[in-house]
Amino acid sequence: MRDETSLNPPVSIQDGHGGIEKKLTGIPRRSQLALLVAPSALWLIILLVLPLITMIGLSFQKSAFGPDSEVFTFASYLNFWQNSAYQSLLGKSLWISLVVAGLSILLAYPVAYFLAFHAGDKQSLFLNIMIIPAWTSFLLRVLAWRLILGSNGLINTFLMWLGVIQEPISGLFYSVNAVIITLVYIWIPFAALPIYVALLRIEPGLLEAASDLGAKPWQGFFKVTLPLSIPGILAAFLYVFIPTVGEYVTPALVGGPNGLMIGNIIWDQFMRGLDWPMGATLSLVVMLIVLLPLVFMAKAAQQTGLFGGKSE
Amino acid sequence: MKIYRFRALVLLAVFVSTLLAGCSAGAGTQEIDKPDEPLVILEWTGYEVTEYPQFFVPFSDKYGDNINDYVNVSVFGDDAEAFAKVQSGFNADIIHPCSSWWGLYVESGLVQPLDVSRIAEWENIPEAFREPGKFNGEYYFVPWDWYYEALLVRTDLVPEMPTSLADLWDPMYAGHVSLWDNGEVSFATAALAFGIDPFNTSPEQDEFVKQKLIEIKPNLLTYWLDYTQAIELSASGDAWIVASAWQDTWSVLVDEGYEVAYLEPEEGYLAGVCGYGIGTNNTNLDLTYEFLNAAIDPHSMANFTNEYWYGAANFAANEFIDEGAAELLQLDDFENVLKNTRFYPPLTAERRDLLSDLWNEVKAAP
Repeated sequence: MRDETSLNPPVSIQDGHGGIEKKLTGIPRRSQLALLVAPSALWLIILLVLPLITMIGLSFQKSAFGPDSEVFTFASYLNFWQNSAYQSLLGKSLWISLVVAGLSILLAYPVAYFLAFHAGDKQSLFLNIMIIPAWTSFLLRVLAWRLILGSNGLINTFLMWLGVIQEPISGLFYSVNAVIITLVYIWIPFAALPIYVALLRIEPGLLEAASDLGAKPWQGFFKVTLPLSIPGILAAFLYVFIPTVGEYVTPALVGGPNGLMIGNIIWDQFMRGLDWPMGATLSLVVMLIVLLPLVFMAKAAQQTGLFGGKSE
Repeated sequence: MKIYRFRALVLLAVFVSTLLAGCSAGAGTQEIDKPDEPLVILEWTGYEVTEYPQFFVPFSDKYGDNINDYVNVSVFGDDAEAFAKVQSGFNADIIHPCSSWWGLYVESGLVQPLDVSRIAEWENIPEAFREPGKFNGEYYFVPWDWYYEALLVRTDLVPEMPTSLADLWDPMYAGHVSLWDNGEVSFATAALAFGIDPFNTSPEQDEFVKQKLIEIKPNLLTYWLDYTQAIELSASGDAWIVASAWQDTWSVLVDEGYEVAYLEPEEGYLAGVCGYGIGTNNTNLDLTYEFLNAAIDPHSMANFTNEYWYGAANFAANEFIDEGAAELLQLDDFENVLKNTRFYPPLTAERRDLLSDLWNEVKAAP
């Protein structure tokens, strides 16, 4: 019930200040809201909705240029349907994203747990330390892995110095593994944040009650903490999974011949292949596939009240 | 207080007079034919007349400081990028694509025929460079620069020197070969390696070459995307052999003291020529031909070759070219070069689409 009221602030604002605001500005409340929303709505319409409509249109064209651009066709969709190379690459991209999301959550959970329960008054310090690397350019952080994984990199040089290996291991860099390692590194802070927030919301009393009732610490974790942090875990999963499916930069820089993802082929269709309709089709297919878990989770959340709030 | 005011007055007078002097000086050097709109030049990065005036000497000398009133340079880093830009409505007056793309520009009506009588050095450009730009009996492109695609080999790292393109498939080099991420070029490389004429293939041969390009994957370190990456891959020692490398890649590595060879494969070089075309809507032809003549001028061209070690299409420039560059380009034996070298011919739109799809399927293959 406490959540219920806090989630409905418009009511209280309208009761409290609505009249005064109207008097002060002379603009009706409805217009005030419209004015507030207008800049971001305009932004979204111009940069998201219109391009999306263009993309949908493009995907049904025969060609992006010349007289062929007037021809309506399903050719690109048929091409995707019949081409096993594109499908398997899409499958591989989804698999990579799934692994990256899973590993990021696994590695981020202890970090978030520590931050929420054991960092004490140094909480904000540690939080900043975790986020600071994200201030560096994404590209630089990807390239930095060259220094670690490359054949003259940190790992190879160290192992050779130890005498464990004689020749540098060449499979470390320019491979699917390199893509996964790099992406997990990049996404850990983003996975940790929602989990951290979810953990913070857990009432300490609940854990005390569990231990009073005889639960061992690990039982308390699995029966109380973990289930209550599931909304955070799901949010973290979406944060990582969705942007990773369409990833372009990381596989281009560290993926090598076998670590490419669907994003690279989409880029290629637009930039090199000049087959914009095919590129648009592939983008839309990826978008649809990514949308599925999102819709599914949103539904589930609404029904179970997983994200707090609207439980009735 | 009075002194200050006096000084301020003097300063003001000096300031105004310099300003006036500057203006009149500017007016003095200004040419009569200053265009309403500057020429829009769509140019490769690293070739801009505004940044590299020495490649366009007579033009940049004449217009010098006011050059921005006369030209407006946009750059591109890839032929496909330039073509897409012009196709989607960018109104370029002068465009600088390479030979494989020439046909596509003409086919799509993006360039107008040249009046070769207005190009003073036209006769000094070898026929081999001029002919690919000829469509329906008219020339559309002024050849300017040409390049080889060779094997860039780290001689200190390879267990054995490769001699041919076919050697790229040798397991000896597993994980240390880098191909260019370019369908047309990698197709030609693979076709040539297996004795197929890259520019005249049957559908069965296309499929065969595609399989070969998939088969080479275990030997590949990665695909290189641009010339900086090619340099980096070779310099780090990760790529022992970089395929389809251009002369400037090699010149940079040699300058930095790496032990690299620029190897002509047994199958012969693949090579390309690039040149200037005039946009269909360009009406300022006087200034355009002035620019083209400045670009093809022997001294401009020699400056260009000595800087990047790329070939100059104007053979009158050869006498001004440094020995090292001339030797690399085999300028003294050019007849022989022409026999052993395959220059990329203009592609048709269908062929280009086919190669681009083929390449994407190679890359997507598991």
